[in-house]
Amino acid sequence: MTVVIGFEGSANKIGIGIIRDGEVLSNPRRTYITPPGQGFLPSETARHHRGVILTVLKEALEQAALTPADIDCVAYTKGPGMGAPLLTVALVARTVAQLWGRPLVGVNHCIGHVEMGRLITRAHNPTVLYVSGGNTQVIAYSERRYRIFGETIDIAVGNCLDRFARVIKISNDPSPGYNIEQMAKRGSQYVELPYTVKGMDVSFSGIQSYIEEAANKMLASAQCTAEDLCFSLQETLFSMLVEITERAMAHCGSQEVLIVGGVGCNLRLQEMMGVMCKERGAKLFATDERFCIDNGAMIAQAGWEMFRSGQVTELRDSWITQRYRTDEVEVTWRD
Amino acid sequence: MAAPVDVRNEPGKLEFALDVPFPSSREASIALQSLSPDREPRKGGISKLLTVSGSTLSVRWTADEARILRVSVGSFMDNLSLVLETMEMFGPPLPQ
Repeated sequence: MTVVIGFEGSANKIGIGIIRDGEVLSNPRRTYITPPGQGFLPSETARHHRGVILTVLKEALEQAALTPADIDCVAYTKGPGMGAPLLTVALVARTVAQLWGRPLVGVNHCIGHVEMGRLITRAHNPTVLYVSGGNTQVIAYSERRYRIFGETIDIAVGNCLDRFARVIKISNDPSPGYNIEQMAKRGSQYVELPYTVKGMDVSFSGIQSYIEEAANKMLASAQCTAEDLCFSLQETLFSMLVEITERAMAHCGSQEVLIVGGVGCNLRLQEMMGVMCKERGAKLFATDERFCIDNGAMIAQAGWEMFRSGQVTELRDSWITQRYRTDEVEVTWRD
Repeated sequence: MAAPVDVRNEPGKLEFALDVPFPSSREASIALQSLSPDREPRKGGISKLLTVSGSTLSVRWTADEARILRVSVGSFMDNLSLVLETMEMFGPPLPQ
């Protein structure tokens, strides 16, 4: 049996999870929630993580009913993400790994999402749509790499949603995306927005500035409601994501789609992807907010795979990195 | 006109020194290894050297500007106190 503890804190969530051979023993998490109209900044987010990380670590061990001596390996997010929060989490991971005399494994955050999705859904070899506040990628596995088939050329889809929420002062509790999803259900009028698919890639920054301007004008003159804009934004963004996912499936001859990342728990996105999959006779896999949204268990799971296939990270190589592409990692644990 | 010559040498630089005592040399070296892997975020203008002697962790900074030095020392203090808190809660080191 191999027990791995995973530390995640690359954005506004701090999570620590413990995995024993595919079983999630614990996965506590805290979210840094800012007031409406405000995003989360690196230094304040790091301060939040510093304030709670040791409590979360205690919880993770207690809920799993384990002591440090039971842990075989300490995994942490090496990147990508915001520098200061990543460093905060890496410092604690390095320190406990040494205190407990266990090896350290630095995990690519995107690969954590993919491996957690595969574990929970048992999808065999899916085309992966990874959508969150910081990342938008269509990924497929080929010859020891998770290859990026398509991605955003500017901001992430979740960032587009988050920024729109800030413009019209939607609450960030529990998350801006969740509140947009609820409001969108009450929208009835579709406001036409730019649709920007460029080959296998997508662009969201133009849509973001367009809807920001439209929101100010149209809401002031009561031409539409905030709910209509939430609805229109979701329909447009998610159509683009379904389109590039379908194209990647056609390229790879894939009959499975796995949606991961924070935006992946949006049920409307899952529904739209489900329609496309049904038309192609493909199967859709998705997880709920426990595993879609950043969490520690996903880092533990990717760390488990890496550790079992012989990868460890020496302390001197355990530096964090804000940029770390999914296809930089050699996937030593798959055929 | 001749190219300007950089006349500033080490003596013109600002320095900051910090010595942190630990209960044992093992803990001092754990702190050293936790705090040293990451480079300074800014490219030039500052350097930081961490060493351990016995059970003391020593840090020496040299910098061009007080502003940069202050930021670096400040964030090091935050990082150091997190490492110390972690050791207090999850230490002492297990026997090897």
